[in-house]
Amino acid sequence: MPLFRLNPKAPEAPALTLANTDDVLQLGARLHGVKLIVLNFPKFTDGRAYSQARLLRERLGYQGELRATGAVFLDQLPFLLRCGFSSFESDQKGFGEALEKARTLFSVVYQPVGDGRATAAELRLKRRNATVPLAAD
Amino acid sequence: MPDTHFYRYDDFDRTLIAERVEQFRDQVRRRLSGELTEEQFKPLRLTNGLYLQLHAYMLRIAIPYGTLSSRQLRKLAEIARKYDRGYGHFTTRQNLQLNWIKLEDAPDALAALAEVDMHAMQTSGNVVRNVTADHFAGAAADEIEDPRIWCEVVRQWSTLHPEFSFLPRKFKIAITGSPNDRAAVRVHDIGLRLWRNEAGEVGFEVIVGGGQGRTPAIGVTIRDFLPKQHLLSYLEAILRTYNLLGRRDNLYKARIKILVHEIGAEKMREEVEAEYAAMKDSALKLAPETIEAIANQFAPPPLPHRSAIVPEVERLRLEDRDFALWLKANTNPHRLAGYRIVTASLKPAGAPPGDASSVQMEGVADIADAYSQGEVRVSHEQNLVFPHVVIEDLPSVYAALKRLGFAEANVGKITDIIACPGLDYCALANARSIPVAQRISNHFADLARQHDIGDLKIKISGCINACGHHHVGHIGILGVDKNGVELYQISLGGDVDFGKTAIGTILGPAVTADKVVEAVDALVATYLEAREKGERFVDTYRRIGAQPFKERVYAAV
Amino acid sequence: MAKNLSGELQVASANRLSDGVVVFLDDAGQWTPRLDQAALARDGRGAEILLERARVEGASVVDPFLVAVSEDDDGTVTPLSLREKIRASGLTFDAIAAEAVRYA
Repeated sequence: MPLFRLNPKAPEAPALTLANTDDVLQLGARLHGVKLIVLNFPKFTDGRAYSQARLLRERLGYQGELRATGAVFLDQLPFLLRCGFSSFESDQKGFGEALEKARTLFSVVYQPVGDGRATAAELRLKRRNATVPLAAD
Repeated sequence: MPDTHFYRYDDFDRTLIAERVEQFRDQVRRRLSGELTEEQFKPLRLTNGLYLQLHAYMLRIAIPYGTLSSRQLRKLAEIARKYDRGYGHFTTRQNLQLNWIKLEDAPDALAALAEVDMHAMQTSGNVVRNVTADHFAGAAADEIEDPRIWCEVVRQWSTLHPEFSFLPRKFKIAITGSPNDRAAVRVHDIGLRLWRNEAGEVGFEVIVGGGQGRTPAIGVTIRDFLPKQHLLSYLEAILRTYNLLGRRDNLYKARIKILVHEIGAEKMREEVEAEYAAMKDSALKLAPETIEAIANQFAPPPLPHRSAIVPEVERLRLEDRDFALWLKANTNPHRLAGYRIVTASLKPAGAPPGDASSVQMEGVADIADAYSQGEVRVSHEQNLVFPHVVIEDLPSVYAALKRLGFAEANVGKITDIIACPGLDYCALANARSIPVAQRISNHFADLARQHDIGDLKIKISGCINACGHHHVGHIGILGVDKNGVELYQISLGGDVDFGKTAIGTILGPAVTADKVVEAVDALVATYLEAREKGERFVDTYRRIGAQPFKERVYAAV
Repeated sequence: MAKNLSGELQVASANRLSDGVVVFLDDAGQWTPRLDQAALARDGRGAEILLERARVEGASVVDPFLVAVSEDDDGTVTPLSLREKIRASGLTFDAIAAEAVRYA
């Protein structure tokens, strides 16, 4: 199964594979030193791993590689990337090319997630503050 | 773009819509070429509002918080003409459905919608759907705060949310800003009710797990008072809990109401509050300037003081019986004395309920421009609403609506029927609903009789999915299929008005299509004979119970 | 009088991918909106073959399936179920016309 990694040089061990029914907030010490976590999409319509991914990245501060396996298709890439996935197992034709384009498919995002992208709300605030005139002396 | 008195899309909103249209255009291309299978494509088209029905694709266009400018309505008329058969159907969730769309035309239709800041994002699929509100928002006398502000806040947060695009099942949110809940918040996956606490602060009551369909349920309150700035954190906590714990094994047990039922309201509250506690002061907390910027856009149009007593209108009311009945049934008090809220009845006698031709849509847009600040609302009852009409203008509005065929004085009456598209259109249906609605409507067409019968809400669904909201009809009618024959199950006593939510009780064995009118006749006769002064149909039912109705109906059919 | 009340007569139907129109597989393996030109399977084995053929020709349609029909003495084919009757012949009421101001 072809594997696509955002960072091909990153370490892949120690690795931890989770079922999409696992409660990631209960992992505790099992997370220590882990460099690769493998999450699963039994069907692409089963979106539990998106929540697992965000909790791992944003709540638990996990910074290693986060891999999507199972039913992984290119149309889900914008969502997968925003939730923090950094590698993908997929045999779908065109996946690699789509991965390259996926980050820029949407230049506007509404929700703050762990990817650090400024949301429309944040940009609007910035814009308002930038146009607030300085008080006259 | 002419001034609107609701949220105006800025370049960020427009860019997002345009990018989604382009993504979808490419997805359609890949489907037509065979690169994508139907299984892979289906969720992608559903989240752009495109269903495959019996005869064609159906496009469900989002009308956020049921609010339209006249310009948008004209565009809908144009799209209906160009890409469809020149008519559309306004739904119980404040959307518009076009029934004859071609897949190959869908990207162009969506691009045309984008020209007027409209879209079909997330009107279907296992995602957060169009957030609905009270159709009298901003105009009603009893409003605490305009719920549409919050619908827009939630709309943005939920659109293309990367974590919640593959939920166990669809997710419907409704918001009311009034104690008289016109948004049916207790039969939604999440209902939000704005209210003012003793300290004078306005916040949300959060209700979870309501719904109709196979297993109707009334939502439970998991949070009495949620401060406004924490709305999105709380919603994210609920959605994450649902995404992780909702059932994935059985399509019919996958809604959040099942989860609440299975783990209990208390456990649900615990899970949500724990998650909420962890994230409430994160980036999801709404900045006051963000709230203000959106709220300001919903500021009502300047409505100059006008006289509440207009001699010309009084005179007409006394002279013209039809106008008097129309005033009584189709207009509601506005928060300002010199104005009324006017409902255009899309239920002319014998017509498919909730449908409007392109010409009619354009006519409504013209009336909105001339008499209602260029604004129209879509109600939950498949009618259209003009929120701010000067009393002096009521005769002109009445005359204009009459020319369109939308002045039947039947709003809230027995022929103001809500019906889903049913087996004539819908691949999910077991029985037809529109012909049943037409027969009932024709039978009770006499206006004087309708007004004598009074407020009576008949709601018809063609299958258990309950898109016609039959569970909350005073008379609910559910079409079922038994051995290839259409049968109709009647229930009584459902309600979603005036803050009251009740699920109807089934009366007895289902009746055949040709007996439905007789059955309804028998129900009405029972009521008319038993009623006490001031009682509506549903009040009499609550007082005397089902038995008298049951006896009469089953003697007649 | 309708022959074949037991439902052994079947046609293959689907919705056309590009426009959603209801179509039936004809003897030449093409999809036609005309029910009267649909290939008729007269027994179980024939139905299996018909469905398989429909799937083979399935690129231009969505999810082909079999529809039980009856055949009159004069050869008129009618679907047995109300749902399929409606699929084949359209709405059972008149929809409002595009330029209509009033419902007819």
